[in-house]
Amino acid sequence: MKPEMRQKLAREPFAEKIRKVAQLIRLAKTFPRRTAKPQPAAK
Amino acid sequence: MAINQPSDNLPLADVLRAANGLVTTGLIEDWALGGALAAIYYVEPFATYDADIFFIPKGKGLTAGIPAIYAHFQAQGWQVEREHLLIRGFPVQFLAAQGLTEEAVREAERIDYEGVPAKVFRAEHIVAIAASVGRAKDKARIEQMLQQADLDKTKLENILQRHKLKLPIP
Repeated sequence: MKPEMRQKLAREPFAEKIRKVAQLIRLAKTFPRRTAKPQPAAK
Repeated sequence: MAINQPSDNLPLADVLRAANGLVTTGLIEDWALGGALAAIYYVEPFATYDADIFFIPKGKGLTAGIPAIYAHFQAQGWQVEREHLLIRGFPVQFLAAQGLTEEAVREAERIDYEGVPAKVFRAEHIVAIAASVGRAKDKARIEQMLQQADLDKTKLENILQRHKLKLPIP
């Protein structure tokens, strides 16, 4: 994301940012990060 | 909605109201929101899984106030899960403030969140506390705060100097 966009998000009202945090938490629960496949040990 | 029914939204107003209740009942002297949620007051939103409430206990001692705080909330029907109190399913940790964090509570910014009066750590204290803890995520928080928050550099330097702290070299 561009720094200007991040700066714009940072300037949003706190209540709006908290709503976005809740959305991010829901997204993270819906789409949990996949753990990387274990790599074969290097010989 | 029942007091401990999980919420789809982040129940921050309930968290702040609960913290205010501790002052009203005389269990603590003062409190302020710290940690990731305090940082989000100044920077772009990011996912976080708990709220950190720093409080100034009425009495002194290592566990000052914490057993009484948890007993108070359990009596009201809140659930406790390890070191967290669950407010509508959202974990909240109460931490006794001392030294730098006590100063951060005393000098915190007064805000109004959805009609609930509250206090949030000032940006300069968030940076100084992150510098004092020094984990990788604290270094990332410092960088983000320096990029996005309107910091009072003189105030930050003053806090860092008084608490003998240095910002990590990027």
